[in-house]
Amino acid sequence: MKKQMVAMLLAGGQGTRLKELTYTVAKPAIPFGGKYRIIDFPLSNCTNSEIHTVGVLTQYQPHLLHQYIGLGTPWDLDRRDGGVTMLPPYAEADGIKWYDGTANAIFQNMKFLEAHQPEYVLILSGDHIYKMNYMLMLDFHIKQQAAATISVIEVPWEEASRFGLMETDDQMQVTRFVEKPKDPKSNLASMGVYIFNYQKLKEYLARDAENEDSSHDFGKDIIPAMLEGNEKMAAYPYKGYWKDVGTVDSLWEANMDLLDLDSGLVLHDSAWRIFSSNPQLPPQVVTETCEIEESFINEGCIIEGKVRKSVISQDVHIKEGAEIDECVIMAGSVVGKGAQVRRAIITPDLDIPANFKLQKNDGAITLLTKETIENWEGSEDDAFSSSN
Amino acid sequence: MRLAAVIDATVTIPGLKELAMYRSSASIPFAGRYRLIDFALSNIVNSNINSVGVFASQQSVSLMDHIGKGKSWDLDRRRNGLYFLPTSQREGDQLSVGSFAALEDHLNFFKKSTQPHIVVTSAFSISQLDYNDMLEKHLASGADITEAVRDGKCMKSYILSKELLMQMIKGFREKRVVSVEDVVNLKKKPYTFAQYEYEGYFVLINSMESYFNESMALLNEITWRQLFLPERPTYTKVKDEPPTKYMKGSNVKRSLVANGSLLEGEIRDSILSRAVEIGKNSKIEKCIIMQKCVIEENCDLLYVIADKDVLIKAGSVVHGTKEKPVVIRKGSVVSEGEEL
Repeated sequence: MKKQMVAMLLAGGQGTRLKELTYTVAKPAIPFGGKYRIIDFPLSNCTNSEIHTVGVLTQYQPHLLHQYIGLGTPWDLDRRDGGVTMLPPYAEADGIKWYDGTANAIFQNMKFLEAHQPEYVLILSGDHIYKMNYMLMLDFHIKQQAAATISVIEVPWEEASRFGLMETDDQMQVTRFVEKPKDPKSNLASMGVYIFNYQKLKEYLARDAENEDSSHDFGKDIIPAMLEGNEKMAAYPYKGYWKDVGTVDSLWEANMDLLDLDSGLVLHDSAWRIFSSNPQLPPQVVTETCEIEESFINEGCIIEGKVRKSVISQDVHIKEGAEIDECVIMAGSVVGKGAQVRRAIITPDLDIPANFKLQKNDGAITLLTKETIENWEGSEDDAFSSSN
Repeated sequence: MRLAAVIDATVTIPGLKELAMYRSSASIPFAGRYRLIDFALSNIVNSNINSVGVFASQQSVSLMDHIGKGKSWDLDRRRNGLYFLPTSQREGDQLSVGSFAALEDHLNFFKKSTQPHIVVTSAFSISQLDYNDMLEKHLASGADITEAVRDGKCMKSYILSKELLMQMIKGFREKRVVSVEDVVNLKKKPYTFAQYEYEGYFVLINSMESYFNESMALLNEITWRQLFLPERPTYTKVKDEPPTKYMKGSNVKRSLVANGSLLEGEIRDSILSRAVEIGKNSKIEKCIIMQKCVIEENCDLLYVIADKDVLIKAGSVVHGTKEKPVVIRKGSVVSEGEEL
């Protein structure tokens, strides 16, 4: 059946800057906000935007993602017609072709797009936290009569050189695209969200595939090629919360934004729900001894200790006398009696021993892993370890 | 699969009427994020039974909305699964478990089922009963009907053969009995009876007093650990609520809290359902606050059961007592100075 718009979600990224968090899972599968995985945001945005055909392109560590998304039921994407389709690399008669660049990943799945014959293709990535109505962007794209529209967000000038920037005219037509310039002339950063007219996309992807010098990347190759080809390119100004969570620091910051009433990131909003798989766990138990301040806590937790400014996933147990401050604790972890942890992301299913202390004075964010615990030499107040 | 199950959701507990004005008694909220029937359904699926008939009274919209096709319990199957069976019974008609008049309305459920034995239970008996173990003891005893007991107290859950149950349904008027529970209580001849001794969490919700006290008892660690067994989870309809947010100035102690809430006040010894809002400087003590209640600023609530969608306006004071908690009906608005 012919579709107006099909979404292609690029979820194959490794996210090496997230270190141990992505050793066994792809970046889009990283837990966020006490309950979610990063990919819940673009998937829920699709559902809420009434885009019901979504291809999810996976490559790096795909098992958990495939299992997590399943038939797409939590996002209402288990549809008779369309729905969610997982698109890992596949083998053909002449061998397996790994995805080589974002544009190549789409190019290798032209058969999927051909089957749906969409008018427009929405390209998304699985590494951003934001709530966005893609249909409003499509309206803009149609109104601008563009071949491609790139969603952009204003970033602070001092940070602009970290982003791919769009220079535009007063009609929001893109005149130039520059990747991470030293001397930025624009502060409109590309969000990695594109809408293409399908026929144009097909044409440029095919041309790009022939080009041996290309890195087959949307930002580096396809967008510049289209600009060079004098295609009409529009920049869609998005307003609202958007964050790339590509590093340990930014992942921590985005979690902390949930506690900041002025951050613009609000999940208690039934009109634009972020859907997720819902584990069946009992209500959270907070005991007589607990002290909880400004925190975000999921079901299945037992809180006996002191928690300040933290985001706590399901099934976490914070024992009596433990003190947690400005932490993100992922599912299934246990914080032992008297342990103290400040400014850290605690990886899933971690068992933090009693009296463990993590207090850095430089304010840096620690990724607390099994290795950190194993290398810990014991608390200084521990009478047994301090005696020489 | 030797067992099918019947949940008799036509049973009414007269004392819980205040909470069953706008819903079936079986869908009264309990333990924060659950409805009473969740415990019966979860026990059934945790005992690997995958054919369940829920016999409902006429007032069953809320129940139907809650259990749907049984997806949350993994009961949406091609074969067997969940059967929602509305009967001609009215809410209030029916006081004992396994009503023959209700079961008679859907004799086909039994005719078609391939399982030779049937569990008969209700939504008011909350336990972690393992029906498979009970069936083994039932078969070993050679009795016609086995009832589950905890410390000599009848749990109102029964196992009997499908054949016998169908026979009882066909002849109940002549025999002057009304339900399976009735047959067991009267030790009706010529049937033989056995008891299955269960150990573990068990409460029977049969009055507002027991509803309130058993809810409060869950704040005791030993008690909630008995009910919330990790290996036998209690399933419920999933909602996509975000985690609960503890705001600046909140002070929450010794409570059970479901997801989606925004907490700003002082809360202790209480049970909060999903998506509850408690405003600044409000004090909530020994209360059951149900789904989507909004309690504005500077309120003071003690021994209150606030049903779903209740709005308590700023500055309101509502005090009940341990013996008689104040029940605020679903959807009501309470203003400052109002007498309840």
